[in-house]
Amino acid sequence: MAYEKPLPRINGDNRQFWEGCKNHELKFQKCASCGHVRFPPSLVCPRCLCTDIEWVVSAGAGKVYTYAVYHTAYHDGFREEVPYVVAVVELREGPRLLTNIVGCAPGEVYCEMPVTVVWEDITPDITLPKFAPSG
Amino acid sequence: MLEAGLCRYVLISYGHNELSSDSLFTMLTEFSGDDVVFGHFGATGGYALAARRAMHEYRTGPQTWKHIAVGQRAWANLNPRAVMHGRPMSFDDYLSSQYVVEPLRLPDNCLVNDGGRAVVVTTLERARDLRHPPAVILGLGQHNPSAQAAQSGALAGSTGAKKAGEQALSMAGVTRDDIDACQIYDCFTYTVEVTLQDYGFFGPGEGEDWFSGGTIGPGGRMPVNTSGGQLSEAYYMGLTPLSEAAMQIMGRCGERQLGPATKTKEPNIILVSDNGGILQAHSCCILGRI
Amino acid sequence: MNREKTCAIVGVGYTPQGKVPGRTSLSFHLEACTNAVADAGLSKDDIDGLICYRHFPAASNENDLTPHLVAQHLGIEPNYLSQDAN
Repeated sequence: MAYEKPLPRINGDNRQFWEGCKNHELKFQKCASCGHVRFPPSLVCPRCLCTDIEWVVSAGAGKVYTYAVYHTAYHDGFREEVPYVVAVVELREGPRLLTNIVGCAPGEVYCEMPVTVVWEDITPDITLPKFAPSG
Repeated sequence: MLEAGLCRYVLISYGHNELSSDSLFTMLTEFSGDDVVFGHFGATGGYALAARRAMHEYRTGPQTWKHIAVGQRAWANLNPRAVMHGRPMSFDDYLSSQYVVEPLRLPDNCLVNDGGRAVVVTTLERARDLRHPPAVILGLGQHNPSAQAAQSGALAGSTGAKKAGEQALSMAGVTRDDIDACQIYDCFTYTVEVTLQDYGFFGPGEGEDWFSGGTIGPGGRMPVNTSGGQLSEAYYMGLTPLSEAAMQIMGRCGERQLGPATKTKEPNIILVSDNGGILQAHSCCILGRI
Repeated sequence: MNREKTCAIVGVGYTPQGKVPGRTSLSFHLEACTNAVADAGLSKDDIDGLICYRHFPAASNENDLTPHLVAQHLGIEPNYLSQDAN
């Protein structure tokens, strides 16, 4: 069955992030000057405006900064999913990602809950990084 | 522009057929960028993330927000123009209503309505020649934290309201104790709480006590959103609070007029807020009588 | 502060609100503006500044709603024109 949810729009800024996801690697830009690890990817470091970077691969471990439980499907592709959890996960390396918490009931999610990345291959080219309770 | 003499009379306008047209869905998806990939749409989800973080950091939640929803609804019932006029709401009604995006219920959300609103601004010198008592702009402040919800570390405050509020009060030369009423941008109940908190009316976690006992409603000691606000009157972005503040200052609010009619303080000075994105932009304006 | 240089709100314009089918967003702008100008006791030729609130995507059967379009339909040529981001 065709994938019916929206897909990420790949562009010059985020291509390497999504290619990393396809290889099940959570890749972030690290500023070559001040060492700040940032997300989303962009031309300049928001701390020091340096443009030099290296890509680092995250261990994929973090904690829930905050979350929301959707009881409403704003898009037909999510009609079967409600209630589902959208969360902001703070990775151990520093960046925060908007994502979904899977692998547990919505009522079990809490702020600061330890979570680990799990990969959802949704099309031959696109893989989404989602998170599940650790351990 | 007015001070510089570039303009004499400026119109500020908003209009949207949000309820009857098909633009709402486009708006929700465009608003959220690539977050839609994870099923994150529009403002309710973003403010739900903020409200949940606040619930983690200090004492707040539905028991606080019910006072905001119910207090504003009481004002709407004094305003025949309000979309929710004639539809009273009790605490039980609030607490038994459905979640949209948890922890936010339907009455935590602003209205979706058709309509428009506009105001005219001019210099005080010109205002004296016109027909209504002018609603004088005593102070202004703005601050734009800008970061998207997922990249903001301050979803539980402080928001842009802190700096914007300090700037506006300082420019007006007044203190918080001089404020007679507030018209607060209320896209969600939580927005009202965090905004008043960042203006310094109470500390984090003290909101429930501050709001309880009818503080913001008719007869309350600090009336808030006296038209019913965006939760219960109608949504026109910043023009819902700004236009109501002007009408109260002018003394044109009929049954809901601040002062003896509603057993509240005379509205000599009203604090007005506006807010954009998911707590990404904030404006504060102090309006007063001449 | 030089109070005479201070500014003030001098007119408010309302429209029907709630469920009002068959109306474009532009028509609500125009009705609110017209009513605000009349409420202030001014004529439209007095207006030389126009600020439109945030630019939302247009409905599928409407044109993009810009401050230029609002000015055109009000028959004004403002010195200052903008759209607020808030």
